[in-house]
Amino acid sequence: MYSDFGQILLFIIVAIAIIGAILIANKIIRPNLPNEEKLTTYESGEDPVGNANVQFNARFYVVALVFVLFEVELLFLFPWATVFGRPELIAQTNGRWGWFALGEMLIFVGILSLGLAYAWVKGYLDWIRPEPKKPDYALKIPKDLYQKINQKYSTHR
Amino acid sequence: MLPIVLLSVFGIVVLFLGFSKSKNILLPATLLFLLVTLIANFVDWNHQYLYFNDMLWGNNASMVFSGIVLLSAFFVVALTRGFEQEGEAAQPAEYYGIMLFSLVGAIMMISYENLIILFVGVEILSVSIYILTGSDKRNLRSNEAALKYFLMGAFATGIMLFGMALMYGATGSFVISDISEIIGTRAWNEQSQLLYAGLLMLLVGLLFKVSAAPFHFWTPDVYDGAPTIFTAYMSTIVKTAGFAALYRLLAGSLASLQDYWFATLATITVLTLLAGNVTAVYQTSFKRMLAYSSISHAGYLLIALTSLTAKSQSSILFYSLAYSLSTVSAFGVLILVSQQQASNNYDAFNGLAKKNPFLAFVLAVSMLSLAGIPLTAGFMGKLFVFTDAAQKGTIWLLVVAILASAIGIYYYFRVLIAAYFKEGDLATIRIAPFYKVVLIIVTTLTIVLGLFPDLVLQLV
Repeated sequence: MYSDFGQILLFIIVAIAIIGAILIANKIIRPNLPNEEKLTTYESGEDPVGNANVQFNARFYVVALVFVLFEVELLFLFPWATVFGRPELIAQTNGRWGWFALGEMLIFVGILSLGLAYAWVKGYLDWIRPEPKKPDYALKIPKDLYQKINQKYSTHR
Repeated sequence: MLPIVLLSVFGIVVLFLGFSKSKNILLPATLLFLLVTLIANFVDWNHQYLYFNDMLWGNNASMVFSGIVLLSAFFVVALTRGFEQEGEAAQPAEYYGIMLFSLVGAIMMISYENLIILFVGVEILSVSIYILTGSDKRNLRSNEAALKYFLMGAFATGIMLFGMALMYGATGSFVISDISEIIGTRAWNEQSQLLYAGLLMLLVGLLFKVSAAPFHFWTPDVYDGAPTIFTAYMSTIVKTAGFAALYRLLAGSLASLQDYWFATLATITVLTLLAGNVTAVYQTSFKRMLAYSSISHAGYLLIALTSLTAKSQSSILFYSLAYSLSTVSAFGVLILVSQQQASNNYDAFNGLAKKNPFLAFVLAVSMLSLAGIPLTAGFMGKLFVFTDAAQKGTIWLLVVAILASAIGIYYYFRVLIAAYFKEGDLATIRIAPFYKVVLIIVTTLTIVLGLFPDLVLQLV
């Protein structure tokens, strides 16, 4: 009576039932002895420091975006490589197939690299660090006065 | 296919032209690129074509639709004046680049054969418009508009994608001619329920993009918040492309189900006409009024779509051309006036005719055309649309539409009364020669098309 989607529904129901059963069994069997270490947030064994809601530098996202872009490009290169390297297709077309496939991929990669070049020239890839500000006041006491005082008191000792 | 490739390449070129020292090259270059694309658009004239593994389809009508989109883009770009007024923070190269890229999406929406291309086109167009809406980065209202548009648009796109998936589930194909064939083999009450659910969701997604009620709530805020030039851009391009896509979907694959979707679409049409026109009356800002007017024009276009007679396509085509032309000139005048007065309200136009008779005349023609007064393109557009409804025999729809356009006359004439009959201290506004030429061309086209509509109609 059920269609193919019925099996998926069955799968979902069974999955929920099994996981629920395991969790409930755990709840019944396990001893409940909380202490401070157990209740802290897990942070790879380190003591958690500060608030979890910290603001990240927006530049992380720019770099992540460029990274994802080229990750996806790589993903496309794999299926392309299998088709590109097929000897029978190349033989059938007298070698033109290889050049065609290569050209197509070069256009694709070329457009993506143009995008990277654009981001680069625009300076989106520079990681601007906060520059320490130099104090901006003029000293009224001349520098040689310090030297004179130093000399005066060092010779009289 | 040629315009899509050209626009993509030109977009990248414009982006990189932005690095050159002379900023003055960008505007002429973009205009030249658009002109080249406009010519290349008609290369396949009198041929039907299928490109990209039968995913893109085109004939004369879709080429004319693309032509309208490219032409309005040309006019809007010509009105940008190189973004010199926007100050240091403006990025003209990026704006022009994004505009060119967005046209790729618009052309895909016009000439899709495969629903996936429709989705890709909608996304390319929408994402570009989100960015352009928020391009005034220092302005909070622009930011708010962009975020609002982005979040709602993302939801609408999601719903549209659901619809496509369900239609695929019902028919086993994304190709609209195949879908039409499969639907044609069954009577309307024997169709899979999935098909109806999918059709409804697909319609919701597309109707959101053309701002039909009840999916219009984003329109006033987004149109008001976006920089005026981009408001002009999206109100012309998105509307034309959206209606071309809707027509292609309904006529190309679902025409045999008209009995089914007629009631839904007719209800939406009436809602859109009422919501757009009645709310526009209460606006004090001219820009916001134009936003509601764009909703009401979506309503008129929906009449032609709902009727779906043999003439519907040419009616939609002519109406969107007339609407685009008059909208471009209305926004062109608004940009100049609002710069002088630092306000978008009706009051800003007080006494415009005294020292700026040219601008007042351009405004008058565009308002008359939007209101649908004879001798303008808007009148002929409305006439064709109403004729479609009469042919289909839906007189009640016609009555609502005529009442709505009567309301329209009231709010379109408010700005004309301000410009011609009210006292104001508006100084003479200096118009760059090129800007003036564009306004003259657009106004002349509006009048010429009102007198000789066959110039465009014989193309299709």
